[in-house]
Amino acid sequence: MNPLCPVRFLSDFMSYTTFSRNHNNQLQEPMFFGQTVNVSRYDQQKYPIFEKLIEKQLSFFWRPEEVDVSKDRLDFQALPDHEKHIFLSNLKYQTLLDSVQGRSPNVALLPIVSIPELETWIETWAFSETIHSRSYTHIIRNVTQAPELIFDDIVSNNKISERADAVTKYYDELINKVAVYNLYGEGKHELNGETVHISLFELKKLLYLTMMSVNILEAIRFYVSFACSFAFAERELMEGNAKIIRLIARDEALHLSGTQHILNIMQDGKDDPEMAIVAAQCRDEAIKMFVDAAEQEKEWAEYLFKDGSMIGLNKDILCQYVEYITNGRMTAVGLPTQFKTSSNPIPWVNSWLVSDNVQIAPQEAELSSYLVGQIDSQVNASDFGDFDL
Amino acid sequence: MTSKKTAKIHFADNSQCVDFNTGCHSLLDCLEQQQYEIPFQCREGYCGACRATLVAGQVTYNEEPLAFVRDGEVLLCCCKPDGNITLNLK
Repeated sequence: MNPLCPVRFLSDFMSYTTFSRNHNNQLQEPMFFGQTVNVSRYDQQKYPIFEKLIEKQLSFFWRPEEVDVSKDRLDFQALPDHEKHIFLSNLKYQTLLDSVQGRSPNVALLPIVSIPELETWIETWAFSETIHSRSYTHIIRNVTQAPELIFDDIVSNNKISERADAVTKYYDELINKVAVYNLYGEGKHELNGETVHISLFELKKLLYLTMMSVNILEAIRFYVSFACSFAFAERELMEGNAKIIRLIARDEALHLSGTQHILNIMQDGKDDPEMAIVAAQCRDEAIKMFVDAAEQEKEWAEYLFKDGSMIGLNKDILCQYVEYITNGRMTAVGLPTQFKTSSNPIPWVNSWLVSDNVQIAPQEAELSSYLVGQIDSQVNASDFGDFDL
Repeated sequence: MTSKKTAKIHFADNSQCVDFNTGCHSLLDCLEQQQYEIPFQCREGYCGACRATLVAGQVTYNEEPLAFVRDGEVLLCCCKPDGNITLNLK
């Protein structure tokens, strides 16, 4: 810096640019914190898996309006109050999770991603979450005449807001610190009377923990909510809702596969040797994050069933499922299991989670992927009663 | 039609042995037919729920899985044994 000219121009320090004029070899860039992506090119790929995930996600495309949820209104009205509480609280939680996921991967990860196929995967991933958000409105509009009461409660209800803290904490810190890093670079900065220390290594740690937190959100929190949605449908209630949740679950399985790939590539260290050190240093904290999340989900189960259980699902069974699924998700990202539960206490959930594509007869009316623009697929002989030929 | 030799599936933690029926789509289908309870979800290789350890032998994938698979792991829903194999389902 010129001592005679103490004014720093922002452009001297801004490291983010939407289109870097520097030539770079994207095959040599790490996934994150390298040179920002300039040309969105897919002719050469460092990690072809991300393009395969994009293609799969695009092949999954669906719209909430395709699913008929009109029968759910009658089902919902007939539910006892404690089951209405379970259904609505679960839906509020799902709405919160997808509100976060529809924007946060973009806001947090796009400014630091360095390879085009991963950048496009992040955008594709977040876009599909916005479809999920729209589908909750589709469901909520249908079951109640006052959707605003449900949406407003997502912000004002303490139980939901505790969930929001847990899922946004790492995202928010990463977003804020990357913003400072992009403006001022590494070092000690005085901002609004506060001292902020920014080091690239610490940012990498924060990125790693954020990815863990996202994986926990997608691989554990979502699945606990899916189990509740499917428990209604097992009793042939709220089946339109379950059809939508099946489509959401299919997307989420792909998303968590994406975050598992990112985490495993980071741990491996070939992509960025520093990330392997980060992963080793953060191992205990990552384990704690999974255990804490499992505890939070168990507390949530207690809140869901506070006024009574439902057939097929209660607090204890849901808590066992939390432990079972947490174990599996920890193994998938190279962490040791922490709970004794080794078998699935609600194996019927699996059949709700099967991808539609493996069905042999896609013309079956029950198949959600085949139901496009339908209102009512059930036609009885009596419907033709007043036909004159 | 060539008669294909049936592959045997052994398990690392017990002495059981299952014949792989060549008509099965995957190891997962075969083990389910034999009443084994295996975790599954997507059944097409992208979710990773059916991940197991391949202790010995080789498998051939019907299609390349999208889920992360470490060395020594297999996704049961989208592969078939290539000769006799030993699995650890834990």
